Amino acid sequence: MNKTPMRSSLFVLLVLAATAALAHHSAPVFYKVQERVTVSGTVTEFRFANPHAILKFEVAGENGETQQWTAETTSPSILRRRGWSQDSFKPGERITLEGMPSVDGSYLMRITRAFREDGTEIGVPRGTDN
Amino acid sequence: MRMVGKGIALLGSCALAWAMVVATASAQSPEGHGIAGFWSMSFGPTPPRRSPTPTESELMAYFPDDAIVLADAGSTEFPPGDYGGLAVRDSLREAAKSYDPQVQTTVSLTCRPPGLIYSMQGPFPIEIFEGHDLIVVKLEYFDLVRVIFMNETQHPDDWPHSHTGHSIGRWDGDTLVVDTVKLTSGTLFNNGVDHTQDVRLVERFRLADPNTLVVTQQFEDPGSFEGTAARVVSFVRGQDHVYPYDCDPAYGLAIDSRQGPEAVRRP
Repeated sequence: MNKTPMRSSLFVLLVLAATAALAHHSAPVFYKVQERVTVSGTVTEFRFANPHAILKFEVAGENGETQQWTAETTSPSILRRRGWSQDSFKPGERITLEGMPSVDGSYLMRITRAFREDGTEIGVPRGTDN
Repeated sequence: MRMVGKGIALLGSCALAWAMVVATASAQSPEGHGIAGFWSMSFGPTPPRRSPTPTESELMAYFPDDAIVLADAGSTEFPPGDYGGLAVRDSLREAAKSYDPQVQTTVSLTCRPPGLIYSMQGPFPIEIFEGHDLIVVKLEYFDLVRVIFMNETQHPDDWPHSHTGHSIGRWDGDTLVVDTVKLTSGTLFNNGVDHTQDVRLVERFRLADPNTLVVTQQFEDPGSFEGTAARVVSFVRGQDHVYPYDCDPAYGLAIDSRQGPEAVRRP
């Protein structure tokens, strides 16, 4: 995927409904599961632990302010089998995330895909063979 | 020092006991039935969302005629207020109306395992170790470990309730039949309705082919619903092991500490 890193970007896409996979710690409790946002920023902290990994990152707001964002993933047990690890993100690294926006409008999202500054996708996307 | 010595002795005894269990269960017994190994949930629809396969039909024939086959196995769940046609007690339905699923992310509850019946049909893999006198089912989900006693025919009255309960099993031809009681009250549906600690679960495990394992659940719990509930679950064999889950309760704190002008704080 060839992506141009965005200084401060927030795109909201309405995605056609795929059946939402609910579970304990259900995503719909905190996220709009049928919408997608794309957010770019700089990693400050990454904790790769069940039940969901947590990524903290800073985003430069449109008015020059620094927004402190929190992103969570699906279970690290699942992500390990897709090539993720505790070293997938380093503090100071520029990243772009795609995912579900928060229900309450806070700086919170659920990651569906993650990319490095050069556009390289982190891990193996779900649904691919390798 | 005396206390320390006793502690070390106790620790050693526990380790020895666990080593014996592992040694017994870690290999497929020579007369094994082929169910040992790593199994991932098959994420496609299962009955009643689609027509059953021949193996599923054979196992579903054991369900009572009036059993409610729930359509929430695998990666789907019922929304609030939907219990799949099961006659859930009115008091539980009423209580569920005020259920807030955000409580699942509180520090005290984040790492509390959901009920075993729910967990066995969830999206995480399992690993089965088949021995002669016992079968061990290790769930990746919340590190739950089930021991199925194949050399016992009755549940001990004094067995403590737990997340995994007490299970006894037997082979009925090529089908493993497991009877489980002594489960602590736990998730019936992930929308605010729990079963009681009197629930009784009967499962049947059968290979449809060497790489497909069909598991049926049927369970009764007069304290929470009428009649018999049932599910059909399908697993696909993989070459892997379940990973440690090692749940971190701080997950909920990270969610709570989210920022932004419109962040809603937990009361």
